[in-house]
Amino acid sequence: MLAVHRDVVNIVQAKFLSAEIVRSIHLNVFTLEEIWSNDNRILALVEYNKSFALFVLISSKIKPSCISDLSIETVTPVDEFFSCDTEPLEDTQTNIIFIITYKKIKRAFKIEIGLESSNFASEVIRSKELSLYNKPNFVWLDKYIGTMSIPSRSSDIEQDDIPITRHQIAQGQTSINRESMLKYHLKLKEAEYTQKQEFTIFVGTWNVNGQPPTISLRDWLSFDENPPDLYAVGFQEIDLSKEAFLFNDTPREAEWHKYVTEGVHPKAKYKLVGLARLVGMQLVVMVNSQHYHYVRNISVDTVGTGLLGKMGNKGGVGVRLDLHNTSLCFVNCHLAAHVEEFERRNQDYKDINARMNFRRSPQAIKDHEQVYWLGDLNYRITDLTTTQVKTLLLRNELPTLLKADQLNQQKERGNVLLDYQEGDINFQPTYKYDLYTDTYDTSEKARPPAWTDRILWRGRGIYQVAYRSHMDLRISDHKPVSALFKSEISVVDPIKYRKIHEDLLKKMDKFENEYLPQVTVDQTEVVYDLIKFREPQSREITIANTGMVPAEFEFIRKLDETSYCKDWMRIVPYCGSINPGEKCDVKLEVNLEMDLPKLYDILVLHLKGGKDMFIIVNGECQKSSFTASISLLCRISVPVMKVPDDQWKIADKGDSNVLYSVPRELWLLIDYIYRHGMKTKELFESSALHEEIARIRDWLDFGSLDPFPGTVQAAAETLLLFLSYTKDPVIPYELHDNCIAAASNYQNCKQIILQKVPDLHRNVFLYICMFLQELLKHQNDNAYDAKTLASLFGDILLRDQIRNSKPQASRGKSNFVYNFLVNDLSSSIIPPK
Amino acid sequence: MSAGPYNYSYIFKYIIIGDMGVGKSCLLHQFTEKKFMADCPHTIGVEFGTRIIEVSGQKIKLQIWDTAGQERFRAVTRSYYRGAAGALMVYDITRRSTYNHLSSWLTDTRNLTNPSTVIFLIGNKCDLEGQRDVTYEEASKFAEENGLMFVEASAKTGDNVEEAFLETAKKIYQSIQDGRLDLNAAESGVQHKPSQPGRNPLSNDQQANKDNCAC
Ligand SMILES: Nc1nc2c(ncn2[C@@H]2O[C@H](COP(=O)(O)OP(=O)(O)OP(=O)(O)O)[C@@H](O)[C@H]2O)c(=O)[nH]1
Ligand SMILES: [Mg+2]
Repeated sequence: MLAVHRDVVNIVQAKFLSAEIVRSIHLNVFTLEEIWSNDNRILALVEYNKSFALFVLISSKIKPSCISDLSIETVTPVDEFFSCDTEPLEDTQTNIIFIITYKKIKRAFKIEIGLESSNFASEVIRSKELSLYNKPNFVWLDKYIGTMSIPSRSSDIEQDDIPITRHQIAQGQTSINRESMLKYHLKLKEAEYTQKQEFTIFVGTWNVNGQPPTISLRDWLSFDENPPDLYAVGFQEIDLSKEAFLFNDTPREAEWHKYVTEGVHPKAKYKLVGLARLVGMQLVVMVNSQHYHYVRNISVDTVGTGLLGKMGNKGGVGVRLDLHNTSLCFVNCHLAAHVEEFERRNQDYKDINARMNFRRSPQAIKDHEQVYWLGDLNYRITDLTTTQVKTLLLRNELPTLLKADQLNQQKERGNVLLDYQEGDINFQPTYKYDLYTDTYDTSEKARPPAWTDRILWRGRGIYQVAYRSHMDLRISDHKPVSALFKSEISVVDPIKYRKIHEDLLKKMDKFENEYLPQVTVDQTEVVYDLIKFREPQSREITIANTGMVPAEFEFIRKLDETSYCKDWMRIVPYCGSINPGEKCDVKLEVNLEMDLPKLYDILVLHLKGGKDMFIIVNGECQKSSFTASISLLCRISVPVMKVPDDQWKIADKGDSNVLYSVPRELWLLIDYIYRHGMKTKELFESSALHEEIARIRDWLDFGSLDPFPGTVQAAAETLLLFLSYTKDPVIPYELHDNCIAAASNYQNCKQIILQKVPDLHRNVFLYICMFLQELLKHQNDNAYDAKTLASLFGDILLRDQIRNSKPQASRGKSNFVYNFLVNDLSSSIIPPK
Repeated sequence: MSAGPYNYSYIFKYIIIGDMGVGKSCLLHQFTEKKFMADCPHTIGVEFGTRIIEVSGQKIKLQIWDTAGQERFRAVTRSYYRGAAGALMVYDITRRSTYNHLSSWLTDTRNLTNPSTVIFLIGNKCDLEGQRDVTYEEASKFAEENGLMFVEASAKTGDNVEEAFLETAKKIYQSIQDGRLDLNAAESGVQHKPSQPGRNPLSNDQQANKDNCAC
């Protein structure tokens, strides 16, 4: 094993149990199949107890740095059904194709040629050899089957064997790849829902030398006893005129088509499947009408390779179709002429292959299961004179001549029609005859006879039963040729197909559902202890990703709400991403600053691309004088905690009698400061401990008889808090603008206070102001001046509707309050009852 | 609109509603997974499922939202009705109370969806014939009076489950064909082209004026 990869091997090893040993890996592997995404892959050969398996892992990084960078895509057991191979890659010397075959399934990977690849390949080959001696047991792979894509053992085929790259689904690419994925899997399962049925296919080719049809084609097309199922009839040179060449338009097309229609076997009815023509090349494909219903996806294309490399005097025309479940392609070509131009012919062949595009899948000639290649390929007999050829023909020494046939030679060298097959030629060269005779060219040129007209095929299940020429058709300098095939076509069993198709769809849906993000939360109902004014409480919930893909969560807003949670709640973090198998703690903190009997909300935890979960947050609140209304506090006779609910309700509505001119709590706070803190410096500047304030709050709310539980500074801060949180501000919101406008004129300010502010609020306002005036009397000791106190209290007595934390005071509010700190107030006070 | 033979050309949004415990989640599960969940926990939120079906040769992707039935979630689940092309309204044939609440579910559906939304009434748990508390006749009369489609089904045996989902889709598809359902309307519940699943009705233009997350 290569030392450089030691660290990666360790990471890969971590994907497996310790007894499952990673024997060899190969990095930077790319797949060649389009339907698999082009991720970086790693091949790993893993051994467990003398049984080997080849894993394909997808790596999210070029070089994985931790185990979560890797996911298992497929696993293939190395057993008798396993084989691997390499193939050169076109246009490159640096890479090679590494092919894994398992039963019918084949996967190809591109890897770089080098030490790594040769080591890896030899390890795989060695493991395959070992597997033949041992009887490997692959039960250990079962646990990976859920995550893998290629069915490993025949027994699994009925089960969860859909080779879906889980990865892709996770990327949300399902809709894009669904179609090709389904096609691919249907193809893999083809054997289960189809059976092979033999169809006879008649393929004919004839270079008609520009002659119009004048004779019946029966002797050629209906030569056989029984009618074929399919005809593919190709002509070359149906029109040699300039018009045809330049405008690709010829009346001959219809004429020859008509003659074909009349020439096909009389014992059956035929329907046209497709007709392709380019200048003089014409291909007519017809099907026995009883099969017409099973022909689909017909497409035609033409490729000109003639003049300028594009004109249609040479080239090919093709018709493709699906017959039942088999894709067929017929190509009729007319390649470059002249003996010495064989390379040009090879080139034409390549161009036709490269450029023919049926604009539907499969688009290329090579991707069809069965291809029939016919036409005037124009390859000649080389190195023999016309006389020699004729002599050999007379002696019937066809094998000698066939050796000199350029097509055979070029094909053997791999220059043309590679992997096509041709039947034995037992007929005379079909070119070149004197018109209306069976005599080879007697003209001055005396071209040597040649087998220019040929039929070849490529694909599985094709058996040629006849290959011949038809000497009786004499209107051209070529003789027509035909071949009869018995070809295996996959015929779909509709019932089985429907079932498998549906199963596949269902499985894909299932995967799609499985690949929705999934999380669980450890609690869907969060209950708080008794929630008290300004005593934050937090609870944690844990979101665990139980799905297969990263889950992005976010708390989202309910309709008609402005935020994803209420003002009294804070969620940290309120959104995030959790990897599969991982967790995230979310803190839900409540802080009560309002008069609410309880805190209750349903939070919506949304998973991007998935479900929503509701989380109920719930907590009872302790009543507090701090959040009650001034009006209520003046109407209750006892501390808030001792008020019976019904009394509270009535008082809250303002329906019961006013018992105090200012709230008791306010009086208690001010009284305490009055008695102990009038000379205290920086009275309002220090910030008390939370607990101290909480103690004072409870002392007030429960009406404790204990001594005041805090310092004067704490009392002062509590006073500010109290005034900041009363249900409504001392000066009602709607008057703030008036107050600010009136601030420069004490009489106007007084008017507002006397006429516009409700009684109890006016009491509180004046009470505070009088207290502050009292404080100012001690300004030599406490160092406060009217301006400072006015700005401090201006922002509280006229507090904003939206609580903001901006540090600077409002000048207008401050000026307003200032008026009441420097003028005599005694006349304005309404005496307490 | 050229969809390949295996791709889908429409997305229909469905909601499943009804009292808690009537079997909404089981129906969804049966439809997407072909399995019955005997111990299905209460749905606390809105589950999401998807499946592709075929109607008149068209592949249609159903996006199904299975809502929590508990009364306390009612206010929140209401926000999921919007933009549903189909609403499956479920009651439990063995519990009359779940049937009695139908009118309230129906009111919500009518108020919160658009007029072309197809409402399909499902009397679930029809495998429990012995415990039947609501007759087929009265439910079917209720359905007829209110112009609903109706079947009795069982999420346990799978009876009529497929049918309920498919019939709803057929009806929606018909509405599209007849032009009764305006595809351009934002809340038709039908989308033409495939898109990311699970777009949340709530998550659009969320403008939270809360402190940003620390992620
Ligand atoms: N016998 C029988 N039981 C069923 C059927 N459908 C659901 N159940 C059972 O009824 C119970 C409730 O089913 P759920 O699907 O969770 O009900 P739900 O409507 O989703 O309930 P919520 O999520 O709370 O709204 C479960 O225990 C199921 O096993 C059915 O068709 N037949
Ligand atoms: Mg449920």
